[in-house]
Amino acid sequence: MTAARLIINEIKGYHRFLKFLMVLVGLGALASLVRFIFGLGVTTNLNDTYPWGLWISFDVVTAVPLAAGAFTLGAITHCFHIKKLEPLVRPAIVTGFLGYSLVSVGLLLDLGQPQRCWHTMVFWNPHSPMFEVSMCIMAYTTVLFLEFLSPVCERFGYHLPLRVLRTLEMPLVVAAAAISTLHQSSLGTFFLIAVDKLHSLWYNPLLPLLFWISAIFSGLSIIILEATMTHKWLGQEDESELLETLARIIPWVIGVYILVKAYALFFLSQGPFFDRPGMVALFAVETIAGVFVPFFMFMRKKVRTDNRLRAIAAGLLIFGLVLNRFNVSMYGMIHDGQVYIPSLVETLVTVGIIAAEILFFVLIAKYFPIFEHHPETVDYSIPDHFRKIEKEHGEHGKVGSEA
Amino acid sequence: MNSDLKEFNSAAAFLIDMTKCTGCRGCQVACKQWNQLKGEKTRFFNGEGYQNPPSMSEYTFTRIKFRDYQKNGQNEFAFYKEMCMHCNEPACASVCPVGAFKKTKEGPVVYDAKRCIGCRFCMVACPFGVPKYEWSKAFPLVRKCTGCYSRIREGLKPACATACPSAITYGPRAEMLKEAERRIAARPERYLKKIYGKEEAGGTSVIYLTALPFDELGFKQVTKRSLPSYTWQALRLVPGIFLTVGGSLSLLSWFTHRKERLKKEEEQRQASSHKAKEENQ
Repeated sequence: MTAARLIINEIKGYHRFLKFLMVLVGLGALASLVRFIFGLGVTTNLNDTYPWGLWISFDVVTAVPLAAGAFTLGAITHCFHIKKLEPLVRPAIVTGFLGYSLVSVGLLLDLGQPQRCWHTMVFWNPHSPMFEVSMCIMAYTTVLFLEFLSPVCERFGYHLPLRVLRTLEMPLVVAAAAISTLHQSSLGTFFLIAVDKLHSLWYNPLLPLLFWISAIFSGLSIIILEATMTHKWLGQEDESELLETLARIIPWVIGVYILVKAYALFFLSQGPFFDRPGMVALFAVETIAGVFVPFFMFMRKKVRTDNRLRAIAAGLLIFGLVLNRFNVSMYGMIHDGQVYIPSLVETLVTVGIIAAEILFFVLIAKYFPIFEHHPETVDYSIPDHFRKIEKEHGEHGKVGSEA
Repeated sequence: MNSDLKEFNSAAAFLIDMTKCTGCRGCQVACKQWNQLKGEKTRFFNGEGYQNPPSMSEYTFTRIKFRDYQKNGQNEFAFYKEMCMHCNEPACASVCPVGAFKKTKEGPVVYDAKRCIGCRFCMVACPFGVPKYEWSKAFPLVRKCTGCYSRIREGLKPACATACPSAITYGPRAEMLKEAERRIAARPERYLKKIYGKEEAGGTSVIYLTALPFDELGFKQVTKRSLPSYTWQALRLVPGIFLTVGGSLSLLSWFTHRKERLKKEEEQRQASSHKAKEENQ
């Protein structure tokens, strides 16, 4: 009783925006309940012509690259050892963990037989990209969970698990990068089977590679956008200098993307490009507004150093990615004249998932040391209750700091 | 691969000669009866032509499509039986994460409903648009033509082939192909010089002969390559990529961390020697 009252009092103190998000999450949960009671056919606008709709296009195909910040930044910071980027890693991991957990929720909602999701672990079919992606997503969500445990243990002062987690840190970072490479690209492999269905502006054998590269720059863009927003609205430290470093990396990645895309378009694609004006328009918006404009923006020092312009460029890049994933998974699929518009239930669930992502991020940032994890201000050493390290190594009590 | 193809060609196949189809839809009815499928409420003149129901669905595994056309100023009819093509290398079987689809050695591609998790990737993958979903149910499954596997195992012909008075011939695929070629050669004025299903999607166990151009009848343009090879060319790289990325990143981080450790040790050594010097003095 008192616990409930404590929680209610705590929630009463939240900002109005957070309360609004809570309402959205509640509506989303209600909508998913409706979906389970009445079934996919009644509550969604999916049909035999459009077996995959908004949930696959957004909650899975788009949300996975948007959560790619964790593995890219982890690899850049720890493997290439650019230590100053460290303060950005934890928020990225939290975003990634939340993103992937909600991807799993989205996938479960979309399955016709969600109670059988464990079948993928028992009945293997290594020829299926879906099998590969589901295994990777399960593995990677576990990795992200373990990485996320560090701030949780710090918060509650569990020193022993912390020590284990510290030794696991590097293997986890490497595993994260390797697993992510696989499933980010395999999301592109999904559509390689849609040979005569996906429009040739998007269908080419390099689709998996393109998906992987675009996941890298969109993951980095999300970090820029997120850090800018947390600075502005959550009153966190200004990380402009670090974001500038990221903004210097991004145009290189986009450059590679443009080269690969051009090569795939001109040498590997088959079939007509200009047969449907709607597709050409979508493609033009995606590449011009979503790739070239941010590319040239990030090339300019003025944009990289300006908080606002940098965030706008990152936003454009994310817009381009979202449009690209929708083009590949929804608009670009060739159909016989029927139109698919997501139903109310589908929309509410997706809106709820986005709201949950923001809400949980803010709440986690509020209660756990996500942003305080700055190497200069926080003592990296493991508080040692057994004094073992100190006894053995004398004054070098900070052995754990390197792990 | 080649031995597979041999087995595939000796397995049973449907030869559907659309010039001999009278549009009686006996196959449609026989299919419903054998598979105990519910009738669908339909309206006449619903959509193009006389075909009913408007499309294949969870209740309709096969149906006759109708086409009205003019030849030498005369009105003519053409029919097309729509059903699962039972590909040699089925896209549905390759993309299913739990392996619910299987190409049997007898010919049909069968679906194990107990494994299915309902991801509907088979529906996205199938170039012929065959697998349909039980949209009416809360926990839906995929439905499609089974090639009457239950009948074939007992030595019977599929229900539609049994019911058909004229157009469907059922037997080993190699023989069916030979028969199709014989018919085309014997009456070249009657047939279009093409056997649909011979090479489509890497070869199917349902092959068609017709008088009208195939795309006009509503046949889909389908690649000649087997569908699974499109995704496999990327998926086969998975273990290699995993090891390459994991290995190179491990090496890289080992080097960068070693560099830093050495630097730190060097600093400590200098500091301690400095300290020792001071103490000596």
